[in-house]
Amino acid sequence: MASATPQPIVSTRGLTKHYGNGIVAVDGLNLNVRRGEVYGFLGPNGAGKTTTLRMLVGLIKPTSGSAIVAGAVPGSPASLAKVGAIIEAPAFYPYLSGYDNLRLIAMLCGVPVKRVDVALDEVELTPRKQHRFSTYSLGMKQRLGIAAALIKEPDMLILDEPTNGLDPQGMVDVRNLIVELGRGERTVLVSSHLLGEVEQMCTRIGVIQKGKFVAEGTIDELRGAATLTVRAEPAATAASVLSGEAGPQNVQVLPDGSFSVKVDLKRTAEINRRLVQAGADVTELRATERSLEDVFMELTGTEAGL
Amino acid sequence: MRALIGELFKAGRRPAVWVCVLGLLAAVVTIGYALPWIAETYSPPSSAQGLPSGTTLADFKVTLYPINFVRQTLQQWAVLGGVFALILGVLLQGSEYGWGTVKTMYTQRDGRLVMLAGKVGALAVVVLVLVLGVFAVAAASSTAAALLDGKSLDFPGVAETIKGIGALFLIYGFWSLFGLTLATLFRQSAMAIGLGLAYALVVEGLIFGFGGGLLGDWVKKIQEWFPIANTGYLADSFGAIRLRGLPAQAAPYADATHAVAVLATYVAAFLVISALILRRRDVTA
Repeated sequence: MASATPQPIVSTRGLTKHYGNGIVAVDGLNLNVRRGEVYGFLGPNGAGKTTTLRMLVGLIKPTSGSAIVAGAVPGSPASLAKVGAIIEAPAFYPYLSGYDNLRLIAMLCGVPVKRVDVALDEVELTPRKQHRFSTYSLGMKQRLGIAAALIKEPDMLILDEPTNGLDPQGMVDVRNLIVELGRGERTVLVSSHLLGEVEQMCTRIGVIQKGKFVAEGTIDELRGAATLTVRAEPAATAASVLSGEAGPQNVQVLPDGSFSVKVDLKRTAEINRRLVQAGADVTELRATERSLEDVFMELTGTEAGL
Repeated sequence: MRALIGELFKAGRRPAVWVCVLGLLAAVVTIGYALPWIAETYSPPSSAQGLPSGTTLADFKVTLYPINFVRQTLQQWAVLGGVFALILGVLLQGSEYGWGTVKTMYTQRDGRLVMLAGKVGALAVVVLVLVLGVFAVAAASSTAAALLDGKSLDFPGVAETIKGIGALFLIYGFWSLFGLTLATLFRQSAMAIGLGLAYALVVEGLIFGFGGGLLGDWVKKIQEWFPIANTGYLADSFGAIRLRGLPAQAAPYADATHAVAVLATYVAAFLVISALILRRRDVTA
């Protein structure tokens, strides 16, 4: 018996945001984030990711549609109690130390102040905790933001482009941290325009383009099945054999004259044998897996932010 | 309560808040007492030119003595101190937009109106500290002036002092909420302070100031519904300090009850406007 699909912790129906100047930032979004997963919200710059996340924490009111986040209306105390979020750059009080900023958050959330040290420890900021926020590097600010989001031990973390502006080492550190945080029961919804990052961190992905949802699934589901690339001469003979073996609808001629064949890769040796038996000279035969970048470009028609 | 404690924590640790509070207290001591006392003690006789015969600058010293410290504080610092209160109101709200911390605050636990209530509560506490500080510094300074001049240390009654504190709290409360509302409206500090000061100087200062003199009584009838005029009526309701040789000042145009009612209405209106804006407006920065 198939295992039941986990209950969504985020569920939106037709979520839409229009701005007064005629801009449709988000258009009829149906988003489902399941409990316990690390969900990547992927899209090029300006696709509507941040607007969506702002609606999920109640900073922006949708023009139409509805959303339920952690069992309650976004932005309500019941929802906020279970959600930790960083929207765009983490913002704190520059005249307060990292520790005092988190102490403030603990006061506002009604959690014991001792949670501050635990959260600072989780993001490895303890040695700098007494320094003013204004003296922190971008990476430290980002980590303090994550610590603030963790203070109330939320069921869900919403992180908006958490590696933006970080140096390569900072990006690696934050990615590893997110993977670590996503282990166990906690849900992480992370937005990004960086494919590699999403591929490394996320179990499922939703792709948004011009405010519309264009795809959702696991990375494997989005990539689809691998194909077989065949180069053989004469081409007419090869086309005839491949169509016979895989069906004409599954054979595509590529611009360089080779063929892309959708077929079970276990049949590779058999197809090679048929081509040779038909008198074709096979010069290339290999399995080709679509990269997430290919999928992204296909879906959004943009460069993949790489 | 969480929001109030959080806001007090932020305000208490913010250097700019203390600069504002201590700046006003320093002004009360220097501009309100030290400089006038020096001028009135050491000025040459020629500086009495323009005063009625027999009146000297030293006669003005009566304003510096303890018996007059409540009236003097209200009449001298209702508007000047109000500007500091305006800045405090702007700072507490406007900086949240400048730093982008509005979104941090609104994504913690409580709703926006609860957060606003916490901020207004913290602002009230800061303004009360400011008012008590102004009265304390004025009392101490007037005591020093009286001791230096060998005058009596008679203070006004407790009831008048408490009424004075209440009046200045209402006046500064109006100013600070005016600042908070402007900062909420414009989502920044600079424009809020600029427009707040421009309103005080241009609308109530220049237009009503000159208009009242040139155009007659109907301007005063309009002015009596404007807030800064009412801070003046309220301050003046404590009575003018009588100076030897100078005619008594005219009674204020409106009484204290009118002034309190108008100022309280403005305070309530600012609270409602801020709440409506915060509740309805998207946080996009």
